Amino acid sequence: MDSLEHGRVIDSNPFVDIATHLFLEDLASKVGVAGLNNYLISLANNLAANMPEEEYETWDEFLEALKNGHSILSSFEDVHAVTKHCLVTRRSPFERGWREYAKRVGAFSKVHKEVAEYYNAKVKSTAVNSLHIILQTFRDAASKRIKVGGKPLRYEQIATVWVDGERKVAGDDRLTGLLKKAGISRIRLGMLLRNNADVWLLAPE
Amino acid sequence: MLDVALVSLIEDLIEKAGADGVIEFWQRVGENLANRIGKEAYMGWTSFNVAVREGRTAYSIEGDVTPLTDLAITDVDGDVVGYLYAMKQCCYYPTAMRVRYTVGRLSAADAAVAREYNENFHNIAWCNFCVFHERFREEVAKNIAVAGNPLECLLLATRGFDGETRISAKGLSKININPEHVRALLRNYECVYALLMRGARLKEG
Repeated sequence: MDSLEHGRVIDSNPFVDIATHLFLEDLASKVGVAGLNNYLISLANNLAANMPEEEYETWDEFLEALKNGHSILSSFEDVHAVTKHCLVTRRSPFERGWREYAKRVGAFSKVHKEVAEYYNAKVKSTAVNSLHIILQTFRDAASKRIKVGGKPLRYEQIATVWVDGERKVAGDDRLTGLLKKAGISRIRLGMLLRNNADVWLLAPE
Repeated sequence: MLDVALVSLIEDLIEKAGADGVIEFWQRVGENLANRIGKEAYMGWTSFNVAVREGRTAYSIEGDVTPLTDLAITDVDGDVVGYLYAMKQCCYYPTAMRVRYTVGRLSAADAAVAREYNENFHNIAWCNFCVFHERFREEVAKNIAVAGNPLECLLLATRGFDGETRISAKGLSKININPEHVRALLRNYECVYALLMRGARLKEG
């Protein structure tokens, strides 16, 4: 309960995360990769829709809330602002669960990667595995529930790095524009990807 | 965040398959997880209990488990055939708190699954995760051999974070342990279970 002082909720027991992974794997065996993809998207959208809306007067006020874990966008992850609109997540919120899965159960089921490939082809090319579909869809839906200076937010994923180092970066057609809006260069992106799990953009609509 | 998203998943599944469908789903997932973890063998109870303390058994995936070595289960000849084990904190407690501090309150779907399970299977669950957890433990027990004997697991008692306790009369009568002993344990633990050698000749309760 101590971490509530910092705004972020207490850590989950990784066993619940592992059980959820197995739950999703079982689901995939019934509905296939496309069905699982739809399920994950709907899951993340429902989660965001169940969380309270937020409003802030200024961008600085919002960034402060984000940094302190008081925003729904930082409830589950440790978010840092690199520039006014470029945000990074230091550690994936799924890392503990995945590590425990690898330690106690074995190799991550292939379906988690297969569904990410499906998502990358159909939606955006920034997911390494199923967990990123949840996280990125959640951020997208949650950002629309936040107003800064009366305007809702727009979220874009710039790049993702998984625990094993595998990366997914937004396609070249979008990357230049995203980096410009985020206020970082390609070299800076490379630097950020060394020690962060996600690099993302957040700006008013 | 996967655990908090799981709550939305349960809500969705209950709409599609009903509470009984969720129970079936969870039980299958519990079996699958136990079987993926695989088999273990120990020389005797001492080595098994040391492994439990050191977090080396399949049960260690749950979190910290305390072997209550002062509460041995004996057979008709007075030989030790098992022990009681307990967890100070329910695996789902952090998730319940995380839901409380992100979404607002635990979904009614969670209680609906537990109620269905209590009425039709075993009156021991305080949350939907107990359904998965009980089956998982039962299946893991089959995969662990102590002194050449596979184990059996009996979930004996639970205490929810709201203070409500459930004690399994069925389980306690099987191992001939006074419910008051277990009630006293619930002051310090949230989940108590027994592991004993499958097929042991126990005294009539």
